[in-house]
Amino acid sequence: MTTTLKTSGLRPQNFKSATQEPVWLRYTLIAVVLLVLSVLLYAPLIAVFVEALDDGIIMAIESLGNRDAQEAIKLTLIIAAIAVPANALFGIAAAWAITKFDWRGKAFLITLIDLPFSVSPVVAGLCLILLFGANSMVGGWLVANGYPIIFAVPGIVLATMFITFPFVARELIPVMTEQGRSEEEAALTLGASGWRAFFTVTLPNIRWALLYGVLLCNARAMGEFGAVAVVSGKIRGQTATMPIMIEMLYNEYMSVAAFSMAALLAVLALVTLMLKSALEWRYADQLAASHRH
Amino acid sequence: MGVMITMLSLVVILPIGTLILRGAQIGFADLWAVIGRERTFNALALSFRAALIAAVFNLFFGLALAWVLVRYRFPGKRILDASVDLPFALPTAVAGIALTTIYAPNGAFGAPMMDWFGLKIAYTELGIWIALIFVGLPFVVRTVQPVIEEIDREVEEASATLGASRARTFQKVILPMLMPALLTGFALALARSVGEYGSVIFIAGNLPNLTEIAPLLIVIRLEEFDYDGAIAIALAMLAISFVMLLVINLIQVWSRRRMGAA
Amino acid sequence: MQIEIDEIAKEFGTATALQAVSLSIPSGALIALLGPSGSGKTTLLRILGGLEYPTSGRVLFDGEDATGLSVQNRRAGFVFQHYALFRHMTVFENIAYGLRSRPRPSRPTNAEIERRVNRLLELIQLPAIGKRYPSQLSGGQRQRVALARALAIEPRMLLLDEPFGALDARVRKELRQGLRDIHDTTGLTTVFVTHDQDEAMELADLVVVMSMGRIEQVGKPADIRAKPKTQFVREFISA
Repeated sequence: MTTTLKTSGLRPQNFKSATQEPVWLRYTLIAVVLLVLSVLLYAPLIAVFVEALDDGIIMAIESLGNRDAQEAIKLTLIIAAIAVPANALFGIAAAWAITKFDWRGKAFLITLIDLPFSVSPVVAGLCLILLFGANSMVGGWLVANGYPIIFAVPGIVLATMFITFPFVARELIPVMTEQGRSEEEAALTLGASGWRAFFTVTLPNIRWALLYGVLLCNARAMGEFGAVAVVSGKIRGQTATMPIMIEMLYNEYMSVAAFSMAALLAVLALVTLMLKSALEWRYADQLAASHRH
Repeated sequence: MGVMITMLSLVVILPIGTLILRGAQIGFADLWAVIGRERTFNALALSFRAALIAAVFNLFFGLALAWVLVRYRFPGKRILDASVDLPFALPTAVAGIALTTIYAPNGAFGAPMMDWFGLKIAYTELGIWIALIFVGLPFVVRTVQPVIEEIDREVEEASATLGASRARTFQKVILPMLMPALLTGFALALARSVGEYGSVIFIAGNLPNLTEIAPLLIVIRLEEFDYDGAIAIALAMLAISFVMLLVINLIQVWSRRRMGAA
Repeated sequence: MQIEIDEIAKEFGTATALQAVSLSIPSGALIALLGPSGSGKTTLLRILGGLEYPTSGRVLFDGEDATGLSVQNRRAGFVFQHYALFRHMTVFENIAYGLRSRPRPSRPTNAEIERRVNRLLELIQLPAIGKRYPSQLSGGQRQRVALARALAIEPRMLLLDEPFGALDARVRKELRQGLRDIHDTTGLTTVFVTHDQDEAMELADLVVVMSMGRIEQVGKPADIRAKPKTQFVREFISA
């Protein structure tokens, strides 16, 4: 032996780690995963921007400047501005009621809150038409009194709220369950009022999970298509949201306009993902331990 | 509390209740007759079949992806991890037109597939699979990932010291631990895919009996003012959703019982 | 089986866990690796079990180089600190796992497996718990099941990582004697890791005191007590 270190006759390359896959399998898995994600996720994302810039960036921006496009963007922002805070409020109330008090039927209520996750957006839209459409009892009365819901903005708001209903509650329930009640009870015994306990103790504890839920809720609210398509009536400049506009432009072979609008929503999606990842890395411990979407 | 019940009633319970009530007024026999019609039946069967195929693909691929994300180190992993949620964040209509552009017979991937294999993807059932795989991609990954993170390495080592190969350790020790999460993710992906509309209609071709999905048929029936037809299809889909939710809950109860409190 | 550790060193990145330690373990001995956390005792045990590969040095089993031998082929009965029982398997299936994992030609028949598992359950004095799941057992019972599972593969040696660490004081005393009895019946060369000097002194034939990746002293418990070789050993023993 020439070195000062003793080495085994059996070489380390032959040594198989107990908790790792063989090298060839590891590289194959990584390669397969990258390939599938490229073909399925990254390529479409890139395609959105490539198609939008097909006639140059000037054309892309101009297509977003026309009146109908502007109206669609404005409408989408308005819808999100109503639906997201409403669902955030609901999410806080639901998580509060579910985790801070004991009562029967809790499990059933959680199932009800989760229901919109597994109901088709189109079915959700249909439900709203049956309830508020001009042919229904409630809807007929509302239309007669000048408050149409279906084929109007309120219907789109309701449809969006239905679809995004569980997002905030889903994020808050696990976090608030984990935190339990002791801190609020401590605040209450110290003489704080219920509201004061909520604002000084509960809210700071859940703020990152709340932001996380709001983020997901907002992304879905601005991008919802199926449910909105059914109830909106697709009136250009009035009830056409951004996703609806995309469909109409695409079907009219206005490719640059359709993809420019799509690119705008794709940027929103990317920003959402970045903020979401940033939250996950920084506040992992304050978010729910396991996420279910 | 009051706020919550009011909103839950107004936004969720009342609309769904109305649908069920209207269905009850029509009567079971008539509903069944609508579902039994060839076009309706084919649309429902297509939605369910394509969703099932996509969910099975995502079951295996999601497991592989979650495993790679938790266990392996490679450059760009964080970006990869973050990008898994893209289908959650990207509006379905955007995904729909983007996928169609790529997989159309003259698209970036569609053209070579056509030239080399004579395979048409967009405007066929294959295109529907692609769209549904896209939509359901994050579910299995995100349910399984935390479970893999929590696996005690000692258990894998114990299996190896007892003479089990890596493959056997995976099959007999790791897989059973992941099973509840895998099934939950599978059921969630399936539930989402069955009712998916936005990302599918652009790529599907929408030919009655061939590439026409159930949610699209609801929209068509609504445009024809055939409310009873729309209600029948919607109720059939709602039933599928309910069964799916039930299955998810049963899986969770079963796994909790089997794995014990520890 | 006689174990020879020949200048084994282990580095994790820039941190040195072991600095070229050598040790000869006579066949059939019951040995304690004693030291504070970070002394390298667990790393040494894991190298013996084939769970880590040393940076340099060799391990010899009965004079044969076994350094690169895979975990699977090493036949070391390993008991983990937290037992690492398979939660989704019954106690019976846990113990049978090693036998069922053998390649088909050397795999015992189901009847033979059942016979052996039942014999092991009797050896650990828990004959009636085969159908239970690990979550339904007490800490002491879990430890004994882990021991039976390790013994089921007919190991050439028994390696235990803090086998009593997760137990309360009363159960700990009781199980010490249990391990001694099992060692005496099977005659297996046994190495266990501990940070508890009472445990090492009471149970082991030979105690190896370790610190900072080095072996400070090797000796019979009485000798170590009577003649501590270094400052560290003197202080650690009297603590």
